[in-house]
Amino acid sequence: MRTSLIETEQIEAHLLQLSDTGNALVFEAKMLLDPELTDNVLWQQKAYHIVKLYGRDQLKREIESVHQQLFKDEQHQSFRQKIMRLFTKK
Amino acid sequence: MTERTILVSTMEEREKLFIALYKGAFPAVARYVSKMGGTFDEAKDIFQDALVIYYEKAVAGEPDIRINAKAYLMGIAKHLWLKKFGVNSRHVSIDGIDTEEAEDVRVSDSRLLNFLQTAGKKCMELLRSFYYDQLPLNDIAETFGFSGVRSATVQKYKCLEKVRETVKEKALTYEDFLD
Repeated sequence: MRTSLIETEQIEAHLLQLSDTGNALVFEAKMLLDPELTDNVLWQQKAYHIVKLYGRDQLKREIESVHQQLFKDEQHQSFRQKIMRLFTKK
Repeated sequence: MTERTILVSTMEEREKLFIALYKGAFPAVARYVSKMGGTFDEAKDIFQDALVIYYEKAVAGEPDIRINAKAYLMGIAKHLWLKKFGVNSRHVSIDGIDTEEAEDVRVSDSRLLNFLQTAGKKCMELLRSFYYDQLPLNDIAETFGFSGVRSATVQKYKCLEKVRETVKEKALTYEDFLD
């Protein structure tokens, strides 16, 4: 892997707490000496957050598509009626 | 990511899972929401949020929740309902179930997501599989057509680096980004 990817891997180990104590200490010392590395740690943390939001967003779309199937397709008619009855009796 | 039972690894499997969960648990949730005076759309929103929470806990390898998915989903749904409409909902406890709800997405995050969905879809899908769906790298390598775990790993870090650089670049243009 090229050097920058190795650094990305080390940042991941730091953020996801995958390193052993020795390596974690060395990494923290490197951060103290290298503000650019510290910046990259921050941006990478934000990148994980964005990936999580992306994953959640895509999952919600998949769930909505299942909902549409269940409430539109002919084959799920009895399920749909069972649910709709709950909201029409009032 | 080891020692975890894989829940589902493809979109088709997830679809089957959600259909099964819908059929198994939605009637009870809908009955509850209806009893509480809620509408069909409210029941739908609450159930879908509960499914997201269930999925995230399940892929994270949380023990027990898959033993009785219906009871778990019902528990989350009640909690979400009371949180939304109930009084003193902060004190609502649901039998030790920890529900970390999906937080609202900030405007800057949603702009960034839109950008990445179009500019880096393949990378985002790869990263989603690894970090969100928590699938093993050999499954990911196969799905995405990599020659093996090694090249999937390299690609994963390349994508992560790309997203990190995009986040950094866009942060300068989105005002609320670092709040």
